[in-house]
Amino acid sequence: MGNVLVEHPLSKTNGSAPVSDDGCAIVVENVNAWYGRKQVLFNVDMQIKKNEIMAFIGPSGCGKTTLLRCFNRMNDIIKSFRLTGTIKIGDEDITSKNTDVLALRKKVGMVFQQPNPFPMSIFNNLRLPLAENFPDLEKAKIEDIIVQKLKDANIYTEIKDRLHHSALRISGGQQQRLCIARMLTIDPQILLFDEPCASLDPLSTKKIEDLLLQLKEKYTVVIVTHNIEQARRIADNVAFFYTGKLVEMGPAKKLFLAPETEMLERYLSGKF
Amino acid sequence: MIKIKIRDASQQLFAWVSALITLAACFGIILFLLVKGHGAVTLEFLLTDPNPTFQAEGAGGILAPMAGTFIVTLTGVVIALPWAIATATYLSEYAKKNLATAYLKLAIDVLSGVPTIVIAIFGVALFTNPTLGFLSSMIEGVEGVNKAFGKSFLVCGIGMAIMVLPYMIKTCEEAIKAVPNAFREASLALGASKKITITDVVLPSARRGIITAIILGMGRIIGDTAIVWLLLGGSIRMTGQQPWWHLSNWLSTLQNTGSTLTTYIFLNSPAGEGNKPELAFAASLVLVVIIVFLNAAAGLIGFMGKVKEE
Repeated sequence: MGNVLVEHPLSKTNGSAPVSDDGCAIVVENVNAWYGRKQVLFNVDMQIKKNEIMAFIGPSGCGKTTLLRCFNRMNDIIKSFRLTGTIKIGDEDITSKNTDVLALRKKVGMVFQQPNPFPMSIFNNLRLPLAENFPDLEKAKIEDIIVQKLKDANIYTEIKDRLHHSALRISGGQQQRLCIARMLTIDPQILLFDEPCASLDPLSTKKIEDLLLQLKEKYTVVIVTHNIEQARRIADNVAFFYTGKLVEMGPAKKLFLAPETEMLERYLSGKF
Repeated sequence: MIKIKIRDASQQLFAWVSALITLAACFGIILFLLVKGHGAVTLEFLLTDPNPTFQAEGAGGILAPMAGTFIVTLTGVVIALPWAIATATYLSEYAKKNLATAYLKLAIDVLSGVPTIVIAIFGVALFTNPTLGFLSSMIEGVEGVNKAFGKSFLVCGIGMAIMVLPYMIKTCEEAIKAVPNAFREASLALGASKKITITDVVLPSARRGIITAIILGMGRIIGDTAIVWLLLGGSIRMTGQQPWWHLSNWLSTLQNTGSTLTTYIFLNSPAGEGNKPELAFAASLVLVVIIVFLNAAAGLIGFMGKVKEE
């Protein structure tokens, strides 16, 4: 597995996340967010360091997915959504009206709760974003990158004989890793995962978790999870949300051993 | 208890009988046409042009009407499809919920309710306008008349496109709306623009529904008579340069008139000008067979798409 994380053939940034002066990939300052009149995030401040796995935990409806979707502006497609505060990725405040959202989303990739491969072949699922973002690529080069990204996502050996079959015919766990491979084709620096294992069996979950641990070597990973055990297994830092507020945040080891707040203690012992 | 059982049984019987009546009507028509028409359907009948004559021996076949049906259907669908996809895309992906959208949807509903003869008479008014003469031909040799003839395969195809547009828009719109949002989100999250998301992900995902829309539209065009009668005319033969099937005469054929299977049936039936009902039955049989095949194709495409996706 040593050579699994190979540089993107087109990489201009050597794969490291953009880093602001204090070594953070993402800096969230005083963020409040609303759906219509309902406020869903309250004064969130947070720093996410590069090349770490940050896990957002908390009960349903606590705002963790909303915050995650702020990082690549996916909330833009919800008309009633409104946000104040700043979110800095590198030196850029990505909440600004002038932000190039399409460029941002190429820098900040996302994998969703339900595997969502396009209804086309496995190969074309990866070819589509490549052809769109790098129109000048030769055919052979595109194939090289696709194979490489499938290898990076630890799925190539399982599906290498079925590259031109429908992506909807592989298992859910394979579909999710395919989606990860597809995200990697756009050469992102930060990877967002919105409960990526919610619909997967334990074995597939294990494979994704192993993959996340490999990916953090090169990328900054932010993951939303309902699974406390998962956060315990893979996260470097954990942020606990409750009703839109960031209640507690810190290194996973410390947080799970000795939670400071009673709220987190109750959540960890399953009392929600 | 017995009462309930009797009620259940009678309801079931009613449902069965209703279904049987529908089936009987469908198969009755096909059987009737088979009995009445099969004698006249020969290879020669399918491959020769018709002749306007009173003698049954010289009446010829239905090659030109079949070609006419094909030309009208193709032009109608080719014109309507991009228009329908664009409108359906607008309605499902861009339109906001406001008054203008409501009016657009109302207009589409109204258009789908307009009888085809009304679309046809509108077409007559529009296409006899001399500035649109290039679509058919100009009336010549009549003093003081500056009008277009207003009847041709092109004009008829446009009329057909207007007729099938609302059905095709609705089918396409449903197909586009049925594309899961997860595909759009996946595409947007990859940094694709909304336009690319629609052209590269949403529309290809909706292709099965769009093909269904094409086949539905073809079925409606093939079966229509009123628009053919007013916008293509009552001549049984192709009136462009002969031979009409020669590739060098394609424009002349499109700008001139002819017949389709439906007007051929009308012209040969006792109700029309002819008195050769056996030929009308034979042509009807061919028409029904084409429509049955189209429906089977629509079903097959739906089935194959499902199998492929599973």
